[in-house]
Amino acid sequence: MHFASMRQYIVVLIIAAVVALAVTAYLSLPRAYLLMATTTSTRDTGLLPPMLRNFTLDTGIEVRYIAVGTGQALDAGRRGDVDVVMVHAPALEAEFIASKDGLCRNQIMYNTFVIVGPAGDSAGVRNATSAPDALARIYDNRSRFESRADNSGTNIKELALWSAAGLNAASFGTWYEKTNQGMGATLTIANERAAYTLSDDGTWFAREPTLPYLGLLYNRTDSVLRNQYSVIPVNPATHPGVFSERALAFAQWLVGPRGQSFIGAFKVHGHTIFTPDGTGDC
Amino acid sequence: MTLAGDILQITALSLLVAGTSTLVATLIAVPIGTVLGLREVGSARLLRNILFTLYGLPPVLAGLLVFLLLSRAGPLGPLRLLYTPLGMVIAQVVIVTPIILGITMSVVSTVERRVKDTAFVLGADRYQLSITVLREAAAGVLTAIMVGFGRAISEVGAVFIVGGHIEGQTQVLTTTIITDVAQAEYGHAVALGVILLLLAAVIYSLLYRIQERTLP
Amino acid sequence: MSLEVSGLVKSFGAREVLRGIDLRIEPGEIFAIAGPSGAGKTTLLRCVDFLLRPETGSIRYDGATTPAEPAPAIALRRRIGMVAQNPLLFRGNAAYNVSFGLCIRDVDEPELSRRTADALKALGMSDLAATRASVLSAGEAQRVAFARAVVVRPDLLLLDEFTANLDPTNVNILEGAVREYNRSTGATVILVTHNMFQAKRLANRVALLLEGRIVEVGAVPEFFENPKDPRTRAFVTGEYAY
Repeated sequence: MHFASMRQYIVVLIIAAVVALAVTAYLSLPRAYLLMATTTSTRDTGLLPPMLRNFTLDTGIEVRYIAVGTGQALDAGRRGDVDVVMVHAPALEAEFIASKDGLCRNQIMYNTFVIVGPAGDSAGVRNATSAPDALARIYDNRSRFESRADNSGTNIKELALWSAAGLNAASFGTWYEKTNQGMGATLTIANERAAYTLSDDGTWFAREPTLPYLGLLYNRTDSVLRNQYSVIPVNPATHPGVFSERALAFAQWLVGPRGQSFIGAFKVHGHTIFTPDGTGDC
Repeated sequence: MTLAGDILQITALSLLVAGTSTLVATLIAVPIGTVLGLREVGSARLLRNILFTLYGLPPVLAGLLVFLLLSRAGPLGPLRLLYTPLGMVIAQVVIVTPIILGITMSVVSTVERRVKDTAFVLGADRYQLSITVLREAAAGVLTAIMVGFGRAISEVGAVFIVGGHIEGQTQVLTTTIITDVAQAEYGHAVALGVILLLLAAVIYSLLYRIQERTLP
Repeated sequence: MSLEVSGLVKSFGAREVLRGIDLRIEPGEIFAIAGPSGAGKTTLLRCVDFLLRPETGSIRYDGATTPAEPAPAIALRRRIGMVAQNPLLFRGNAAYNVSFGLCIRDVDEPELSRRTADALKALGMSDLAATRASVLSAGEAQRVAFARAVVVRPDLLLLDEFTANLDPTNVNILEGAVREYNRSTGATVILVTHNMFQAKRLANRVALLLEGRIVEVGAVPEFFENPKDPRTRAFVTGEYAY
């Protein structure tokens, strides 16, 4: 009797677990949607939800995405866990294609890197003559600077600019802080610590209302500050099982008239941030 | 989907993932913990050491290991479980099982020796002995389950890595709080946090009620 | 059940507790084992009920040694019952505790409830059937433990100082229950006690256990009136009396 009632509890528990697992498994059936890996910066601009909705309306293809660091996004492609990647790190993209993980590359749009910092601007970035010059002024003043230090497109650009100014970022003192995080988190930190940082204008304008202690200090269309976005379908030869046709359709739509006009019209808090420059071999 | 619909879906998935993980972990951990708790000191010492080391296993590390396992490039790739709720459950089972096992083992081993002797003298066989001891330790075992569930519902690193926080698929309360903070949507984040606490409060009050009945 | 103990030796590490016990207990008798604390009485009972394994010696139950196979061994164990000095009751009420042994033996309803109710009634515990075990008084708890032990009708009942902590009323009730159980079932009872008066009241024969050895065995009136061994005389005349 007592042992029978114990047995009843165990049976109830097993049934509950089986039902729960069945529901979970049902929700985990192999996906029918196209899965993209992109960066947190891209997510933070807010471009993706409306743009992907438009794509689905036009083609009937559903797209979902994971938003991670640039490195992890490309790695997801290398592992075959996603069907297409959208990043903004041309050097790393070239490696991705060369290693046969990427099938082809379509350039779709660019936005601009900007330098933001405390409104007081003690380093005088507002008066800089070029982007490297702006960073040189920050260095001269030893003003606090937040670096993403995460091998993202933004981070790679930042290091290139220090080099262009003739400075070695590896030798910087404690004024140079590494956040190892995405653009949004880095901006939050810069806001809290009244520091300078390099950001893409998409994330900046998306977050501007929440960053009261920061101001836009260097915002020019220097070609060196171009943040180029591309979309790369994952190579089905190397990763069989990826939804290659749909990925190609996606890449083509983005450089086609519908995609490009959407990108050009997209505004963040009243600012148009993306310049469509669709071209490529997909 | 409306905002309310989103929150509902996220909350439901949090509950499903944490609940399923806790149920599965309980079914694995309680029998093993009971058997190990009944063994005399010494013979289970190595197992006990391994177990206590697993307490210190960071959930993110468990998440990373499960990620490497489930990735298309990994050994279980063909199962296509990465970025799915079932993958998240697997990661959480890895995290929660040692906790429930360890506490169960602990409470079972501290059940008075005389309980075993008395049941033995009344003619219990090995299975009946285990059930009797487990029954005496029931309140403690329920505590183990509550602690395990707490770990599961509040976990964020592993479910982020293995789930990918994909909209409409693998977004839960904790991962959404992370992305909200990254986008400075603090109000939304706090609201989700409150929902999470309410969820936990409801579950715990149910479990407490059951536990009250198991007190001597 | 008859019990035959031969040359039983039990040590705990370096400490020898039982130093060669020889005893023959006849079926149906109430056999008291008396002696001071630490003499080895509890150890002997625990050896008989398979809780301890002796170093050397043998125990025969109805002439046969312990079976090696698990199923017959459990069957033998289920013919033996024990009531210890401080009862350990399981989580639950009195009825749950009393019916425990019946559940172990897969007794079904309605027989289970009937036998449980009868056992509780015999110990005057019917009103307390639904009372939680943890709130019972010492006497009530011991009566539940006794009912729990005898409801399964063991052929051999081991009582280890089972009324040592109780008030005279409860001692009375429990001694009456022992007598009645022995009379109605013919079961063998081994009564470990350091209370000479209880031994006199209940037992047919008495053995004196001193420092791990049986000093003397005798029938009840003679053991007390005419002990053969001087140590026995010292014991019964009052040096160790309760």
